[in-house]
Amino acid sequence: MISLATTFFWIFLIAFFITAVYSVKDISFNIGDPQMSVKTDNELVFSLPVSITNRGFYNIGAFSIKTQVLDKEGFILTQASTLIPVIRKNNEVIINHNMTANVTELLQRCQNYLFNDTELSIYAALGLRIAEMIPVEASANFSMLWGAPLYNFSLGEIQYSVHNSTHVRVVVPISFENHSFFDIVGSIHMQMYNNTDVLIGEGEARIEAWSNMPYDGFIELFVQIIGVTETGRFEVYFLTSIFEYGPLVIPYG
Amino acid sequence: MADVNNNSRKKIRSTVFRALKATVKSVLVYLIYYIIWMFLAPISEYVPSLQQMIENFVIIYISLMIIGDLTSGTIFQYFVSVSKSLFVIAYLILSLKGGIFGITFQNVNLTVDLRLFLTIAILLSLLGLSKSLLQTINFLNEKAEPMHV
Repeated sequence: MISLATTFFWIFLIAFFITAVYSVKDISFNIGDPQMSVKTDNELVFSLPVSITNRGFYNIGAFSIKTQVLDKEGFILTQASTLIPVIRKNNEVIINHNMTANVTELLQRCQNYLFNDTELSIYAALGLRIAEMIPVEASANFSMLWGAPLYNFSLGEIQYSVHNSTHVRVVVPISFENHSFFDIVGSIHMQMYNNTDVLIGEGEARIEAWSNMPYDGFIELFVQIIGVTETGRFEVYFLTSIFEYGPLVIPYG
Repeated sequence: MADVNNNSRKKIRSTVFRALKATVKSVLVYLIYYIIWMFLAPISEYVPSLQQMIENFVIIYISLMIIGDLTSGTIFQYFVSVSKSLFVIAYLILSLKGGIFGITFQNVNLTVDLRLFLTIAILLSLLGLSKSLLQTINFLNEKAEPMHV
């Protein structure tokens, strides 16, 4: 009797294991093109459409996708996870794996991301339970180049011209390269201080810098003649749909 | 003289029968392995050591089965049976690396948690082991000479 029961259980166990493993080849994943959108609170949302087709013999349990973006020091910049409790057999499920990144917060942590290209590492893990019983996890590490949105930001030669008896028109050329994957649409606000820390003028310019394109423009300021000194500083503020940053202090003279 | 002839004939017949039984069982086990391998073959592309691992198991298991059948009716049959159960337990634990099976394919690390499967398989093997031990005790009891008072 024991022999019979043992044999029966062995056959059941092996048959279950073989069919469960065999089912794996009938599971297919398709990862679509990543989409990017900006939320009202200046957060970037990366959306990765994933479709899972289960043509195996059993349901898939606890299907999960986990992603983490880390900097060089291993600090987690952003992370996200998506879970589907059950994918029934002969079913197709389409999900969006959303990863949110607050660029303003990121820049507060390190302004390097704004002006210098750097390398980020991405950890991605995909987990599932074959036949809702056997846990399987596949994980991988990738590296990704972070393109700085204001790469090589610099001010050109300042041009002065008399506007009226009390003010001078100051034109400050600005240039940078937008190495990031998003377009920069917003404005640059600039304040001019003389060498006694007195605000002598300010101006604003609208910018539209497309992704992976250089940008050249200028800001016009009207400055009081009596306040102008040979040396001083500019304080630059960036207000865009994706990030806000400032002041960036650049001395002149 | 006739009794001696009969005994040797019986022995030969019994040996031939056991050899035949062992052969049939071995062929059956090999056929089962062959059918199972057809299902597992696609996975061997990703786990190159899988075929070697299963082949080694089948070879040793069939060998123990043949020895067990040939020694049928003796105490050695039970020794072999116990060894077979212990071999299954040890081989499963060693080859499945304690139940957490991991491979690296290019940049991707794949981890399969077979602890539940391994636990059930070990429990079934332990059941087989205990059955073999009980049969050994029973065999020794039957062989023991009755005590005359």
